[in-house]
Amino acid sequence: MIWVDLANATINGIVIGLLLALPALAVTLVFGIARFPNAATGDFMTFGAYTVVAAKSLLALPLAIGVAMACALTALLSLFFYWWVFRALVRRSPVASLIVSIGIALVVRSTITFFAGQSQYTIEVPLVRAWNFDGVRIVPTDLYIAGVAVTALVLTFCLLHLTPLGRRMRAVADNMELARASGINVGRVMITLFAIVGFYCGLGGVLIGIKAVVLPELGWELLLLLFAAVILGGIGSPLGAIIGMLVFSVSQEIASLWVGASYKIVFAFFLLLGVLLLRPQGILGKVRAVR
Amino acid sequence: MELYVSAIAIWVLIYTLMATGLALQYGFTGLINFGVVGFVAIGAYGSGILSQHGVPVWLSIPAGAALAGLAAYPLGRVTLRLGGDYLAIVTLGFSETVRIFIIKEEWLTRGTHGMPGLPRIFEDWAGRSSGDLTLLVLLVAVNVVIFLLMRGLIRSPFGRILAAVRDNEVAAKALGKDTASFKTRALMIGSALCGLGGAFQAHYITFIGPEQYVPLMTFYVWIAIMIGGAVSIRGIVVGTVILIGFLEGSRFLRDVFGGISEVQLASVRFWLIGMALICTVLYRPQGLFGERTKGTN
Repeated sequence: MIWVDLANATINGIVIGLLLALPALAVTLVFGIARFPNAATGDFMTFGAYTVVAAKSLLALPLAIGVAMACALTALLSLFFYWWVFRALVRRSPVASLIVSIGIALVVRSTITFFAGQSQYTIEVPLVRAWNFDGVRIVPTDLYIAGVAVTALVLTFCLLHLTPLGRRMRAVADNMELARASGINVGRVMITLFAIVGFYCGLGGVLIGIKAVVLPELGWELLLLLFAAVILGGIGSPLGAIIGMLVFSVSQEIASLWVGASYKIVFAFFLLLGVLLLRPQGILGKVRAVR
Repeated sequence: MELYVSAIAIWVLIYTLMATGLALQYGFTGLINFGVVGFVAIGAYGSGILSQHGVPVWLSIPAGAALAGLAAYPLGRVTLRLGGDYLAIVTLGFSETVRIFIIKEEWLTRGTHGMPGLPRIFEDWAGRSSGDLTLLVLLVAVNVVIFLLMRGLIRSPFGRILAAVRDNEVAAKALGKDTASFKTRALMIGSALCGLGGAFQAHYITFIGPEQYVPLMTFYVWIAIMIGGAVSIRGIVVGTVILIGFLEGSRFLRDVFGGISEVQLASVRFWLIGMALICTVLYRPQGLFGERTKGTN
């Protein structure tokens, strides 16, 4: 019986890991290119989830259009904050951007609670029966979720490694001054970056909203997990973020068979301390020691 | 009315303790502590639990502060040899971990029920209202002592190394200073001050529960020092006064704008805190009085 539980937890962990890899990717890209941990990531996800709730309940739009709208609007939100805030802070210490990102997180979340209140919402999807293999259950909805996440991740890798724009982004991540000196338009790279970030946060938020319930703290409570996974994978490494997130969420799902789900954040915290103690550069990254 | 004024003054003085702690960490050393509320909670619960087991209040409050300082030690050791972002992330996780621990470990903390009936500091011999005044006097004295100690600390060789770490860590290292160790000590002292504020708060309102120690409180303290500029005692006091004025004043918002629900009021307050954080960093990084060149990046 224990094997069945383990298998189910592993499957669940992989699905959650894949969909949370989207915001983790957003965190690691900003960390690598704009050089600060973006604490607004979680609340961008919340915004995406609530957009779908609003699109479905207020405008009665079908789910697919709602999802597209959520991705687009979250991308716009992210671009707005780049244009208003982060653009002005590019030349200041990353600390300034970090503190401001917390302010953005508070502003986004409080705007949501002002209109939507503190109550829970669900994003309803057609119910489908799970496939049952001797107790090991696979829900087709999960497969769709995982499929969407994998597609988005593959597209990112194509963007980063196969297009001139991706090459420019990697150049800025490597050395912003050098990139600027070689004629790369850093501002344009940043706009692409924040558009992608918003898009992924929105998509990730919707998917997690489908899988769980939509709450004002939806994204904020995932923030530590995202940071921890990014550090585990190696800051600035997109592949690392995905691996880190998968390792994290599978081990978290398995651990919660024994310690209970409310200890998830605690688990993430101690795993993070362990990583920092033993291998601060993460699985695929370089050390970002004091410079 | 007198009671109200003294209550406000007590809140200000409790928050100045926390703000001083954070100012030592951020303003003077450049450390980003996003887990202020975790240390406040440890101070409050540490002192609260001790006092319920018969430890006198004058002993349990410093013990709570010391616990908060000690809790900062492992966080500092693990993160401070790395870049500054790590401390921000780890302290954020730490404060959430503390809150979940408080909720879940009911045998120690009574979980979500909270711990009512903590002893007040002077009630035994002064009664309720004059007890408040005595507490006020005590808090003024504690604040003055802390300010004097801080000033001494900042002007001492230790304080000069902290400033060097903040302004150019590589240079401080090149001079042979073990910067990680200095940063850890600054983190511990600052966190102990946050814990001290939390312990005083616990014995002032006589009730502690996990819902008091949410991340928003961390950013209350951040706002106080950002507005004040984080590097001067005057700035800390004025920043805290503005913060408490805002928190108290926003209660009356509902009288002005009718038809606004409790949740919406909380959202507005939350929104303004976020906006203030964004706008001070963007437009007034030195605070209302700070000098631009000092410690404001």
